Amino acid sequence: MIETTLPRGNVLPRIRPWLGIAAAASFVVASVMALFWAPTDAVQGDVYRILYVHVPLAWLAYLAFVIVFLASVGWLWTKRPFFDAVAVASAEIGVLFTGLFLVAGSIWAKPTWGVWWIMFVMYVGYLLLRGLSTDFSRRATRAAVFGIIAVIDVPIVHLSVLWANSLHQLPTVLRAAGSPALDSSMLLTLMISLFAYTLIYAYFMSARVSLELARQGRLWTQT
Amino acid sequence: MDRIVLVAARELRAERRQPDGVVAAVTFIAVLVLLESLVVGPQIARDADVASALFWLALAFATILATMRSFDRELEDDALEGLVALPGGRDALFGGKVLSLAIVLVLVATIGGVLSLVLLDLPVGLPAHLLIVVLLGVLALPPIVVVDVVLALRLRARAALVPILALPVLVPQLVAATRGTSAALTGDAVGALSWAGLLFAFAVVYTVIGLTIVPAAIE
Repeated sequence: MIETTLPRGNVLPRIRPWLGIAAAASFVVASVMALFWAPTDAVQGDVYRILYVHVPLAWLAYLAFVIVFLASVGWLWTKRPFFDAVAVASAEIGVLFTGLFLVAGSIWAKPTWGVWWIMFVMYVGYLLLRGLSTDFSRRATRAAVFGIIAVIDVPIVHLSVLWANSLHQLPTVLRAAGSPALDSSMLLTLMISLFAYTLIYAYFMSARVSLELARQGRLWTQT
Repeated sequence: MDRIVLVAARELRAERRQPDGVVAAVTFIAVLVLLESLVVGPQIARDADVASALFWLALAFATILATMRSFDRELEDDALEGLVALPGGRDALFGGKVLSLAIVLVLVATIGGVLSLVLLDLPVGLPAHLLIVVLLGVLALPPIVVVDVVLALRLRARAALVPILALPVLVPQLVAATRGTSAALTGDAVGALSWAGLLFAFAVVYTVIGLTIVPAAIE
């Protein structure tokens, strides 16, 4: 048997409007800074500005899948449906952001960055596994185990930038040797973009988790 | 550990009596090697990178085939429930399947590898290094595949779902095995041993993770 009680005093609906406003405002600020305030790159010209979308999307893809991992461990440990709701919400949003990241990456640099496609396909597989399982508890457990296994590939994806023969450019901000190779105004714009996109992720998560909790509530009522 | 060895021995006995998994896997690799030289032509087929990549892709599919056959046998005989009900049965089931599959895959890889070398007339720069890479590569594949077959057990569209789940997760292993094999074929000793080390790490990490979380997934 699984515990079917939902978290008491669910604050998600109350904070969501404020989260939405903060996400929209910070997105506007980040976009203005990226388009007009940050200087033009000496080598790549204005095309480099897609960096302010591309890097935050990559960060969110990682973040989303790490949240899937943590929520999966939470489900296996406690069997609380809330964790399964967080896992499915984060996986869906992660797939969305990884897809957008791949589109942005293809615009910026023509070569297909295969490793990101693999990550994308892996989490589509995760959602497929959920879709094919009918029983709630079994579905959550299966998805949790796959979510944990899959996230182990995430650091390998990141390390693949450093491994031989990669098509991807070497890290610019988090470098092994010394400070970021980025102008201070560019770095500030990037940090604000990262913050804005993280708020967008948080907003999407609050909405999707609420929907999933409501769906689970209906499920318990029916059974 | 004793239980893992017992399950593996039981699995190998079943495979010896009814070797359809091995036969299917070996036939699959042989057909792919033949098709490769026909489709891309003998010159490209003999390229060390191409031949290595195809060999490991074929072996990955063969692993999926053999694993699914192994679990099908359990389901047909209603043996899974009994095994899982035993004390420590879930750990033993995962460990035993991984161990027996690794042994079966050594056989499949040996036959498939010899076929590839002979049919494609591949020169081998470093035979000992090649053996090490293939052995460690074979150990790195089963943990992931067994996990994914367990997750998809009793689901509809299982035959399609297992490759979708397993192959993306297997990419690092396949890259390391292909690069290592190619390095051994072309005589790059340092490259072959580096990739072999990575394969060993993958085998250990995924086996430990499998033993930790797979029991929760076995119903």
